[in-house]
Amino acid sequence: MRKRFKEFGALLTAVMMVCFTVSGCGSTATSSATGSTSGSETASSAKSSSATESTSSSGKYFDKDATVKEVLTKASEEGKIGNWGGGNEYELLALLSKYGLKTSFLSQGYDMDGFDDDSILLASVMTYNEKGLVKNSYPGGYGYGDKVKTIDFNQEGVGMLEDNIFCTKDFAKANPNTVKAFISASLKGWKDACADPEAAAETVYKYGSSVSSQHQSYMAKEVKKLVETDINGNAVSDDKLGYINDDAMQQTLDIFRKYVKLDDSSANDALQKMALDDFRDNSYWEGATSGDFGTPEKSDVTIQLKWLPQAQFMGYYVALDKGYYKDLGLNVTITPGGGDIGETTAVYTGQADFGTTWPATLISADASGMGLLEVAQIYQRSGLQMVYKINQ
Amino acid sequence: MKTKKINKNMVTNILYPVIFGAIILILCQTQIMHKILGTDVFTLPLPSRIIEIISENIPKIMVNVKATLIVSVGGLIIGSLLGYLLAIIATVFPKGGAGGLSVAAAFNAIPIVVIAPIFNNLTKGISSDASFRSMIAKTLVVTVFCMASMSINAYRGLNELPPFSVDLLKSYAAGNFTIFKKLRLPNSIPYIFIALRVTVPGCIISGVVCEYFAEYVIGVGRQIRENIVTAQYATAWAYITVACIMGIIMYIILLIAENVLLKGRKS
Repeated sequence: MRKRFKEFGALLTAVMMVCFTVSGCGSTATSSATGSTSGSETASSAKSSSATESTSSSGKYFDKDATVKEVLTKASEEGKIGNWGGGNEYELLALLSKYGLKTSFLSQGYDMDGFDDDSILLASVMTYNEKGLVKNSYPGGYGYGDKVKTIDFNQEGVGMLEDNIFCTKDFAKANPNTVKAFISASLKGWKDACADPEAAAETVYKYGSSVSSQHQSYMAKEVKKLVETDINGNAVSDDKLGYINDDAMQQTLDIFRKYVKLDDSSANDALQKMALDDFRDNSYWEGATSGDFGTPEKSDVTIQLKWLPQAQFMGYYVALDKGYYKDLGLNVTITPGGGDIGETTAVYTGQADFGTTWPATLISADASGMGLLEVAQIYQRSGLQMVYKINQ
Repeated sequence: MKTKKINKNMVTNILYPVIFGAIILILCQTQIMHKILGTDVFTLPLPSRIIEIISENIPKIMVNVKATLIVSVGGLIIGSLLGYLLAIIATVFPKGGAGGLSVAAAFNAIPIVVIAPIFNNLTKGISSDASFRSMIAKTLVVTVFCMASMSINAYRGLNELPPFSVDLLKSYAAGNFTIFKKLRLPNSIPYIFIALRVTVPGCIISGVVCEYFAEYVIGVGRQIRENIVTAQYATAWAYITVACIMGIIMYIILLIAENVLLKGRKS
């Protein structure tokens, strides 16, 4: 009898402790949810909260007419500048160095909750992705509309090139026709995608999308601008699509080695000595656009994307969907990235034949000896911006 | 006789691990290891290069080591104290204690990768200073890990007593507090060290892992992640080595403390 009572007591306490833990988690979870209004709720609640905040504290955010320097200085002093890190931070480091501010930043999550709940005042956004989430009020958006402003890295002169196509030097040397065919078909896909972004967004959505269809369509339109405008704001002519512009690439390299120091001294030495010819080659692009290539040496190829399936990579999906790869004898598999998947490592180890990354990441990988080669530059300008809220 | 025993201990405790480590190092440096694993000097850099990078970046590394140590050691101390307290409570209330500790054991099974982001969100309201609240979030994760392990082991130490010893003390008219002080507390000391042997290396590991998810960019674990993502493998390995050294030094300190405190006891 006594034993049974003991068992019952133990059971009761266990149940109670579980209840306490669960209820504890429950209450804290709700408090955090109110702190960081998430998802579709935000669109409506953001308006009311910002309205009350503007009356109580007018100086919490940034002045509507504040200069870039003022915004950066205030955010830096409060230590509330955000970036994702992992190779996406170089432009931000360059911008902060340019204004003589300390180059530290907070780790920004892959949603914009940190920006929404004010733990980050100056957040990194891609024009085609997070900026849309912040401004628009479709499902998943935060609906800030005109209540936010952005800093453009291109205008600040510290813009660096972004999404490209690369492979290893060994692969390019051994399979020149495969590389040319891949570029040729991909460019055809990108041209189609930019001609009709709506249709391209639908194609991407069909192949597995990480975001909603409305956001996908927004993204396609923004990506089009990055592909068809160069780093100085001039239009890129149709026959120069994907061409590696030496001036823009030199700017990317110069900014990178001026503002970023690699801890590995031998890699840092290699970085300082590096020239454009060490990591980019336009001859494959030239061969691809002139149609001057034979049958591919390797027909089954894989491209490793930098991120999840989304309109950021619409050109490849359109080329795949319309059979442009097949027309040139290529059987292409698109491997999505995401999180901590290193696209440079995937290509280096041979898990993928091609990859898309940012030249800065490729340069840093090459400096430590990966031997990668950029063969085309899809995005001709930087899509990175810094977003901040303005006082109402 | 006594010296002979010490020598034997030294051989098994120190010499064998050192020889094993030296063999691994030699295999790496001579690139035999690279052939066995089918890798190259880029992915697995030579030990000489790793040491070179460490020696060149000592100030930067120390900043990160300090950040990781504050989190790991802080979590270890708080977690161990709380865990022991929990064990005492469970001993004082035996009716529910054992069952309650099963829940603590369940906490031990939650992966760090799961609780780290949760604690990040929960601590957002604590302070407007990101470095501070990020440190608190990381320390909490280590605390939970250490607390669970300590409470289970300490509970065993407080309750798995020599047969009839409680009856004996009761026959001397000893109260519960006296039994606790004279019998349970000394009996639990070796069990504390059993727990610490798990939690001391574990606190470094959990500290390093939860830095991956932390809001504020600092710490050895964060550097490992950043350098691997940006394909700086040699630097990443330098930080991995630093993390290993931290764990080993902490473990050696524990072994010395154990030797001193448990002198004359059979371990």
